[in-house]
Amino acid sequence: MSPMIFQTALYASLVLCALGLAWRVSAWFRVRVGPDARAVTLSRRVAAVFQGIAATLASRRVFQIPGAFVLDVLLQRRLFANEKLRWFGHLLVVVGFTLLLLMHALWASVTVKLFQGYQPTLDPYLFLRNLFGTMILVGVALLLYGRWRRRTGLPQARRRIDAAFVALLAFVLVTGFLLEAHKIASPRAFYRMAEQFIGTTDAEKLMPLRALWASEFGVAFADLKTPIAPHLVQQGRELHRDACAFCHTPPASAFVSYPVAQILAPVSGLLDQVRADIWLLYLHVFACFLGLASLPFTLFFHVVTAPISLLVNAAAPQRELPGQTFPTPTLSSAVRASRRALALDACVRCGICDMRCSVAPLARYLGNPGLLPAHMLQATAALADGSLLRPGREAGALRAAEGAFLCTDCGRCTSRCPVGLDLADLWEAARGDLAAAGLPAPAQWVQARAALAWAESLEAGPGQYIFSAADAWSAPLSADRRTFSRCVQCQTCTNVCPVVAHSIDSEHGVDLTPQKVMNLLRLGLGDLTLGSRMVWDCASCYQCQEHCPEGIRVADIMLELRALAVHRLGAVRSLGERS
Amino acid sequence: MNSPSLIQTQVLIIGGGVTGTALARDFALRGVACILVEKDDINAGASGRNHGLLHSGARYVAGDRAAAMECRAEGDILKRMAAQTIQDTGGYFVAVEGDDERYVADFPSLCARAGISARAVDIAAARALEPALSQRTIAVFEVPDASIDPFRLSLESMAQARSLGARLLRRSRVIGFEREGSRIRAVRVLSQAGGEELRIEAAQVVNAAGAWAREVCLLAGAPIGMTYSKGTLLVTHERLAGRVVNRLRPPSNADIMMPGGTVSIVGTTSTRVDALDDIRPTTAEADLIVAEAARMLPALATMRYIRAYAGVRPLVGTADAADGRAVSRGFALFDHEDQGLDNLATITGGKLTTCRLMAERAADLVCRRLGVIRPCLTAATPLPVAAECAWTEPGRSPRVWMRSHGLEDPLLCECEMVSGSAVDAIYAALRSAGDTPTLTDIGLRSRVGKGACQGAFCAVRTAAHFYSRGDFQASRGIDEIVDFIGERWRGQRAVLWGEQLAQAELMEALHCGLFGEELRGEELRGEELRDAGVPDAPPAAPAGEVSP
Amino acid sequence: MTGARRDSFDVAVIGAGMAGMAAALFAAERGLSCIQIGNGGSLLFASGLLDLLGVHPVAERRLWQSPYAALAALAREQPLHPLARVDAHSIRAAFESFVTALAAAGLAYAPLGERNRKLLTSIGTIKTTFGVPLSMVAGTGVLDARPPCLLVDFRGLREFSAAQIAATLGRSWPGLRHQRIEFPGCEGAPELYAAHLARALETRETRARTVALVQPLLGDAQAVGFPAVLGLARAREVHAAFEAGLGVPVFEIPTMPTSVPGLRLLSALEAMLSARGVRRRHQASVRALAFDAHAGTATLELEGISGGAGGERVFARAVVLATGRFTGRGLTADRGGVRESILGLPVHQPGSREAWHQRDFLDPSGHAINRAGLEIDDAWRPLGASGKPAWPRLYAVGSILAHQDWMRSKCGSGLAIATAWAAMDQVALALGGTGAG
Repeated sequence: MSPMIFQTALYASLVLCALGLAWRVSAWFRVRVGPDARAVTLSRRVAAVFQGIAATLASRRVFQIPGAFVLDVLLQRRLFANEKLRWFGHLLVVVGFTLLLLMHALWASVTVKLFQGYQPTLDPYLFLRNLFGTMILVGVALLLYGRWRRRTGLPQARRRIDAAFVALLAFVLVTGFLLEAHKIASPRAFYRMAEQFIGTTDAEKLMPLRALWASEFGVAFADLKTPIAPHLVQQGRELHRDACAFCHTPPASAFVSYPVAQILAPVSGLLDQVRADIWLLYLHVFACFLGLASLPFTLFFHVVTAPISLLVNAAAPQRELPGQTFPTPTLSSAVRASRRALALDACVRCGICDMRCSVAPLARYLGNPGLLPAHMLQATAALADGSLLRPGREAGALRAAEGAFLCTDCGRCTSRCPVGLDLADLWEAARGDLAAAGLPAPAQWVQARAALAWAESLEAGPGQYIFSAADAWSAPLSADRRTFSRCVQCQTCTNVCPVVAHSIDSEHGVDLTPQKVMNLLRLGLGDLTLGSRMVWDCASCYQCQEHCPEGIRVADIMLELRALAVHRLGAVRSLGERS
Repeated sequence: MNSPSLIQTQVLIIGGGVTGTALARDFALRGVACILVEKDDINAGASGRNHGLLHSGARYVAGDRAAAMECRAEGDILKRMAAQTIQDTGGYFVAVEGDDERYVADFPSLCARAGISARAVDIAAARALEPALSQRTIAVFEVPDASIDPFRLSLESMAQARSLGARLLRRSRVIGFEREGSRIRAVRVLSQAGGEELRIEAAQVVNAAGAWAREVCLLAGAPIGMTYSKGTLLVTHERLAGRVVNRLRPPSNADIMMPGGTVSIVGTTSTRVDALDDIRPTTAEADLIVAEAARMLPALATMRYIRAYAGVRPLVGTADAADGRAVSRGFALFDHEDQGLDNLATITGGKLTTCRLMAERAADLVCRRLGVIRPCLTAATPLPVAAECAWTEPGRSPRVWMRSHGLEDPLLCECEMVSGSAVDAIYAALRSAGDTPTLTDIGLRSRVGKGACQGAFCAVRTAAHFYSRGDFQASRGIDEIVDFIGERWRGQRAVLWGEQLAQAELMEALHCGLFGEELRGEELRGEELRDAGVPDAPPAAPAGEVSP
Repeated sequence: MTGARRDSFDVAVIGAGMAGMAAALFAAERGLSCIQIGNGGSLLFASGLLDLLGVHPVAERRLWQSPYAALAALAREQPLHPLARVDAHSIRAAFESFVTALAAAGLAYAPLGERNRKLLTSIGTIKTTFGVPLSMVAGTGVLDARPPCLLVDFRGLREFSAAQIAATLGRSWPGLRHQRIEFPGCEGAPELYAAHLARALETRETRARTVALVQPLLGDAQAVGFPAVLGLARAREVHAAFEAGLGVPVFEIPTMPTSVPGLRLLSALEAMLSARGVRRRHQASVRALAFDAHAGTATLELEGISGGAGGERVFARAVVLATGRFTGRGLTADRGGVRESILGLPVHQPGSREAWHQRDFLDPSGHAINRAGLEIDDAWRPLGASGKPAWPRLYAVGSILAHQDWMRSKCGSGLAIATAWAAMDQVALALGGTGAG
């Protein structure tokens, strides 16, 4: 054992961690998301952030911060509002980890100061260590299960390094338990201690003590015959009281490692020979250091980013989003620029936004996970670091653009995000960047061509016929005959439509009416609707849907048609004007 | 009435169905002058009341190979010569659990023997292309079936015939023959519209009256043996499949679903009938078709149906089988010489697919009698496209309308999206032929009234349109609306459940609840009659004037 | 006597057609707390005319000058007809109360009186009705006297041809002329929609331009008829402006759906109900309806029309079914037969589908299916399979009731308003309230 190595390793990883943190944090001021962000200089951004902080500290809002820290950060109420199960899992991990860190990892600087006579081999510490470790393992399991249970049917947004980090965490715990278990069962450890505290390693002299430790402390003496004579154990008890009791309570309370020790018992002699105690210790400790060093670059970074994000929300002036449980902050563009960069780091890829996303069904139908928030966030990050637009990745860029522009801005992702990210703002910014990168909003390019011209390009172009009978049984409303088989042709949808009403004069006239859109769908001529001004001018006021005597979801269909148009017309956009 | 006016021509064709119009074209192409008299309108009989299938022949390979091979040959000719009337959809023959395995096993070889290609299709692949197919499908074969638009075929045949000098007399019923020994000197024809009578003297008379051929023959005193078989079909609200889907089993009820462009057509039934008057689909037939066809295409059980229609197949010879399916679907040509007539020919029976051939055979006989040696050209002459005849094609009018949009062109029919200019084109074409077009005529030549509303809205719009153009006068509009909706009703009645019943209820709420069309001719009555303030209308008062 | 819970009411009215609206109104007027569930869209099919009873017996197509005389005859000859169950006094009260409430909501009707009135329709037939909006009433007079009269229509309003009306009636009304004009600001638009014109005419400028277009066409006309598009919320103002501008009586002629008078009815009724504190769920439908015998309350489970937004529950001590027939989806028909849509109540109906409809659409005797519907007891409670009321405080009103053919009898509104009134008397009685009837 050389604490020297551990010392150096510790400092090394601390330094690495610090450097990493500095680098990551600097990114919040370097990375630019959104046209407005590009206009703001780095220094301006730094300044703005500090001004913001100062302003908050000066304002009454400062009093909201402690409450937010407790409710949002410690108690994770946003996660609780979303999913009780994962909230519980998260709580287990946080509590388990913190306590293990304080009591076990930092025992020298924390525990002993608080509790005289602390010994890792004494109860309750023996028990608590097992408890905390178990809490983390169970918590992680719950988190993983919770995520799996709410899968959208599309690939989830994830980074390899996150999985690696979880693996590392598990590794630390497992080696920890193994190490403890091995020490319990190890005769070698017993003799070492005996030599140290009793001054002998003579097996015969120590017989009574060995008897006791074999029967009550789980040491696996190869040469000890069972059953052990009770009187021997009794003699051993006195010796134990004088020599060992100060530091040792029976390890049965180590409800994980004690059973493991009993499993290891047969091979403990072997393990002693290979000095398992040493290399298990090294593995355990260096794994911890590795975790520490890599912290800024793993999922674990959210320990830093999430609280900041949540506290910013609490500190900044608020604004409401439609159907939002928690308000979102309004910030100056300079601060918002940094906020966005932070958001890219703070996302924990929990996928809660994905499962609440209102275009999820569409994403499934189009087979494009790029429509889902968690994926959009990753695409936005890739857009920010330029990797999205690298040559050869056009397909990816197009899918990302599709996602950004098919977003209905319903605000559900923002209101649901457990980390309190202002995603709505992020999407807005991303759309701006995409437009700047030559991927403009569909409304611009779609209306450049007449509906009929689009339909003709579709015939010439590749891709399946979305409105064919083949689709009549799959997701989208517009391809499902049941959607409009109730229509009685009463024209109510058209009569209550303000868009048609305000363009009744022929030169601004919309090319179709809602009723005609519905009829084209019924006639299997949906392609004629995709590029139509009716579909693209629809104000989504829902008058048609609210008045339809037959309860047909006219407005929902209009929205969906726009989405399908972006997808289908995007595919044949290259085919030139044909009319 | 003064003595009937006289018209003279070389050949008189009786009956304006697919055969009659094909005959007119055939004669015209051979340079033979002809007049076609039709008691009602083009394709008013079975020609307009079938599923519009261009047979690959596969349907008949087991029962009647000759007919099968005939279909195959004629189908190929029509696909080449009348392409604009045909959608080459291809067809499936589909067997489901419980169907006769032996028939399924023999099918390919039977097709091969008849020279019809029948390719076995993997069931999963077939269901991927036609998801409406049942999960209980056990076998699928692909055959070269296609869908044909019989209205466009007849209308364009007649249009070409006219352009070459042939004449068409619609709504003109044959009421008698003037015989002179072994010859028919003249045929007496009553025009339904004006009520005036014509005498037509023709060197040769061809009876192509389809199911009515027997009646015509009786009038001519040359009876023939014929039986009638009634077939009913249903029309769905949306199209369910892209291909023709046949049930792979011996011909029986509800064994086919046709892609009718924007809709699907499901049928058919076959029941022996003795009389031709008042042929209409019954609810029992509708139930039978839905129940039976749903075994092949389960969605048909929950589908919205917008109408049903029934036609009568003329079957030559007498059959014992109750449903008349046993009787050959081949056609028959009678020269009537054994009956002492040498200038009458009767061509009947057969199928839509073989109408051209039927016309050719009959024309050959007539030309031989006339001493005309010019050969038949219809197998080698493409059928010219006539713009005013193209409006029967489903899904065409929306495209044309969208192209012309921005001009002053309102839609008169929203369901099938038929525009004012389309209706005007049809009106003008009829007018130029000296007709007075009715809403029903427009309906027959376009998709107006063929959609969900079944006339409830489009009849009113079209009538209003004609009034505004000055084409309709007096109270004619209401009469036409009533006729048009009444004709649509015949077909709706058998399928009024679910959504279509709601549609029909709305129609009645408008046309009876609001317009009170059923009360035409009624006067306010009751105890305060005298001060009702209604001027006594003359008996011949226009219908709308009296107060519902 | 408002229910204790926020979401519990004395009465839940299911349906927002004429009958549902009337039921909710009468409930509120009787001091009952009320929630109404259902989409008002079907009111856009309404012509704005309030029929009471025009034809009886249907098979004889006999038209009546006096609806009350007709009702008396009906009561004698068809005791099962829902209107035969309501006495003339209640019907008068119901109509008065209904039109008074409408007037208060800004939709004025001509004094009802005792007579049916006659009006032009957009296809040139003549309609017999009872309650006529002020904007149409001038048309009844000219139809009787037939003075020189001008009918104006707008190019692009596809279902309406003044030429058709004039031509149809021309022979017995020589002074009837027609003119087609371009709607100001929509010159050259291929299609116009009634509701949009109505909205446009609420702007003074469009109104003035329209009047200016018609002015020179007046000639000797003593009245001018327009399609019913003269304004929506401000219809009164628009109509007045037209009469002032043209100097002769102006009348509207009812059009096909979507009908502007229908839209006016809908908004007036909505205003009327919210003014009386009736809670409305116009974007929801009833997914399930359950009764608790002990508590004596009904539980209604609602769902939004978009499928989502489900799960809301409301509680009521009495429930009124005003869900209409097939178009209103109160009744559901499949090939096997007809059933009531929410509870599957037994429906009085013809034996086989073959008997549902006549072979001719306009067959004088009408279609048997239209007489199908719910059987009720004397307290307007629909009967369950056992022949007894399905639930002690479940009531049914309007066109869902059996033994009537409102489309042929011209009694749609009458059926809705009268039955709602009578049923609501029973509800109030059952809930220990004050029956106003």
